[in-house]
Amino acid sequence: MATITHEEAHAHTHGPELQHQFETPEQQKEAATLGMWAFLVTEIMLFGGIFMAYIAYRWAFPEAWEESAALLNTPLATVNTVVLLVSSLTVALAVNAAEEGRKRRLITMLVLTIVLGVTFLVIKGYEYSEKFAHCAGAKDPISWITGSDLHESHECLVPGRGFMFPDEHGSTSGGHGAAKTATQSGHQLFFLLYFSATGLHAIHMIIGLGVMTTILVMALRDRFSPTYFTPVEIGGLYWHLIDIIWVFLFPLFYLV
Amino acid sequence: MSTLSLPQSSYIRDNSRTFTDWLKSWLLTVDHKRIAILYLLSINFFFLLGGLAATLVRVELITPQGDLMSSDVYNRAFTLHGVIMVFFFLIPSIPAVLGNFLVPLMLGARDLAFPRLNLLSWYLYMIGGLFALIAAVFGGVDTGWTFYTPFSSTYSNSNVVMTITGAFIMGFSSILTGLNFIVTIHKMRAPGLTWFRLPLFIWANYATSIIQILATPVLGIALLLVVVERLWGVGIYDPALGGDPLLFQHLFWFYSHPAVYIMILPAMGVISELISTFSRKRIFGYEFIAFSSIAIAILGFLVWGHHMFVSSQSVYAGLVFSFITMLVAIPSAIKVFNWTATLYKGSISYRTPMLYALGFIGLFVIGGLTGIFLGVTAVDLHVTDTYFVVAHFHYVMVGGTIMAYLGGIHFWWPKMTGRMYNETWGSIAALIIFVGFNMTFFPQFILGYLGMPRRYHVYPPEFQILHVMSTAGASILAIGFIVPLIYLGISLRKGAIAGDNPWGATGLEWKTSSPPPTFNFDKTPIVTEEAYAYPPEAAERDAAAWRPGSPL
Amino acid sequence: MAEQHAHAHAHHHGEKHTHISRGTYYRVFAALMVLMVLTVAAWWVEKNLLEIPGWLAVTIAMSIAIAKTVLIVLYFMHVKISSRMTQVYAAGAFVWLIILFVITMGDYVARGWPPQAGPLP
Repeated sequence: MATITHEEAHAHTHGPELQHQFETPEQQKEAATLGMWAFLVTEIMLFGGIFMAYIAYRWAFPEAWEESAALLNTPLATVNTVVLLVSSLTVALAVNAAEEGRKRRLITMLVLTIVLGVTFLVIKGYEYSEKFAHCAGAKDPISWITGSDLHESHECLVPGRGFMFPDEHGSTSGGHGAAKTATQSGHQLFFLLYFSATGLHAIHMIIGLGVMTTILVMALRDRFSPTYFTPVEIGGLYWHLIDIIWVFLFPLFYLV
Repeated sequence: MSTLSLPQSSYIRDNSRTFTDWLKSWLLTVDHKRIAILYLLSINFFFLLGGLAATLVRVELITPQGDLMSSDVYNRAFTLHGVIMVFFFLIPSIPAVLGNFLVPLMLGARDLAFPRLNLLSWYLYMIGGLFALIAAVFGGVDTGWTFYTPFSSTYSNSNVVMTITGAFIMGFSSILTGLNFIVTIHKMRAPGLTWFRLPLFIWANYATSIIQILATPVLGIALLLVVVERLWGVGIYDPALGGDPLLFQHLFWFYSHPAVYIMILPAMGVISELISTFSRKRIFGYEFIAFSSIAIAILGFLVWGHHMFVSSQSVYAGLVFSFITMLVAIPSAIKVFNWTATLYKGSISYRTPMLYALGFIGLFVIGGLTGIFLGVTAVDLHVTDTYFVVAHFHYVMVGGTIMAYLGGIHFWWPKMTGRMYNETWGSIAALIIFVGFNMTFFPQFILGYLGMPRRYHVYPPEFQILHVMSTAGASILAIGFIVPLIYLGISLRKGAIAGDNPWGATGLEWKTSSPPPTFNFDKTPIVTEEAYAYPPEAAERDAAAWRPGSPL
Repeated sequence: MAEQHAHAHAHHHGEKHTHISRGTYYRVFAALMVLMVLTVAAWWVEKNLLEIPGWLAVTIAMSIAIAKTVLIVLYFMHVKISSRMTQVYAAGAFVWLIILFVITMGDYVARGWPPQAGPLP
């Protein structure tokens, strides 16, 4: 390798996917994988900050945590967990299909992944809109739009100035009232962390969907072969990480 | 050494016909060397801005009364100085400029592993910088560069969100650079270039990159939560709403303490190169210097609480942090001892880069030792938030990082541009900087010990003499920074042709032409010897051959 | 690099680099689903059938989440057959998280909450 110039080496021995700075496709692939892992390390640390806040405040306000978590929609979150775990399987199978050079199967799996990802976001969006609908005084998102059906007890679980956690007697108290603020702060922190963590997760899901769509387009254009499928593999790594984050978010927020 | 003209093709030259083509060839380049030049220009621009803010601060402090600006403007001035210098100069300086230029060259690679990511990181840096500048233009920010809560999240009426966005985006740039280096160092080394044949600059940058990818995201999320709190009025750090301001400090210093090692570790890498080259000797204790970089990177993550001794952090936590802080002294001292041992019986030539290197050692020792004072809780309670702290971290950051940055720029200038700078002016500037620096910051140790608090623009009249001395020193320092700008600029046109290896140094970067071709090496080099393979008798031979005016 | 993969799974066709078979993926997925049902069931039991201390509930939930993560990381993310360096980085991220958590919580526990209720008067 040392005796021939790079241009010659590249033109003669490898396909167009080998970038100029690498000597061999193996080197390129290993670099991509290691780079993706280094990136995933930063993602884990990014969520780590939120988890740190979670630990500190859960330790400080255990009762508030228990009362607040009861108001989240656990059945929907369970469905979402299943959706994400299945999507992780389809991604793993997509990588497997790319490795074996089965284009049709690869495309099927990628499409399935995207559908599952969108499903997750739709369910998540419904959960969010439920909380916002309660703030607006409606019972659920649909009656919020149609303007019928008021919510029986006034509550607002979206953190902010209008935050109002329903107390045990069903009566309500303002989040701004000085006396109640101190007792409500734990609840507000729970929902703040809930929205921050799941919101950040949802942003990552959207980016992940973009990645998957890009890979799908590349697959449709026949850009992959059993010797070159690095984008599928590192895109898959990113998707699995999103899954892992959810694996922790689910018990930490819904199963308190 | 014998070439009389610059090489026909190099990374600087291109055959673009129109100005637009030329501009595109720079702004859309993926060549690590060109990106390093882009960084060099932009980082020096921010250094200038930070310097201007520092000038405002120092001028205000000439008199004990607050007669130049109000306390509010003063707050904005020192915050601008801090934010620009820390986030947009010190943290990217050596990795993004020298690291970008040298890492692939030192590894015998054609480029970094992800060239386009590298370009993206420069753009992110510029976008982050733009946010910080816009925030500064529209009134600035008054929280100090630490953005402490609940002031930043609840009370401050300045452009906190804008500045934080800038710092956040810059963080991504830093992460991408670190990620790129890690992968490049792992996967792109030339045949035969084993880990223990790597230059120590590479080891230092590797340790830095690990800190960058592990710590920076934590700062990102801490700042993001401040933004959330400001925008929505929720209380994650607000004690009135159940939050804990100290949580912000924990998250902030989890990044920002390691961040001082992001600044100093690459500087130490540069110094290892300079000391060895200008002593004509193998570096003493190669493995110890290499592993001490890694040790500093790891220990640096365990000591952040020493910034919080007086913050109502638990005293027990304070004790543990204090103890681990002492441990950081060990790898730092290992480096200093090994550098001095390298000098011993070396053929030392006092060229400009070496002057900076020797200056670095002296100033870093002072900065490091005062760091130990501050690491002792009993002393720290007395001098927390005084000028003692200010002087300490300027000795490490300016005396450490900037000395190494300038030394490195001079050392690799012939490689970057193909031309030599004026040696006489170089030495004069180095001496001016050393004198000016000490005059600026040594009085601040005394000031701090006498009880002058930091971040105040009004002070008791008895401190005036020391403050005036400090401001006078800062003026000298400013001259010292301007002189290199002039003679380095002139050298681009008038400088002597440097040749491939003007210093007679080892290392792969000196084996290719100056300036290097776009793909660095015509043939992939094969490494058969360790770094700094100066023959044992090189120092003695040099000493015997020395006469006044001889190059080495 | 091929040597480093020597401890990989059995593979049924003659490619140079080892990989994880589809059967393994299905089995891992089944295990993940079982773990998910377990964690929800444990939560339901705690809510409706018997009181257990909070720390135990958290331990159960977190152990299951960690088990799931290990499965995903090792098999779906191929860390089991990746290079040693990748394994170090994957593990490193979690080690650093623990450093952040343990040291910060060390301060909180020693300080007490709310602050005036700490161990010192």
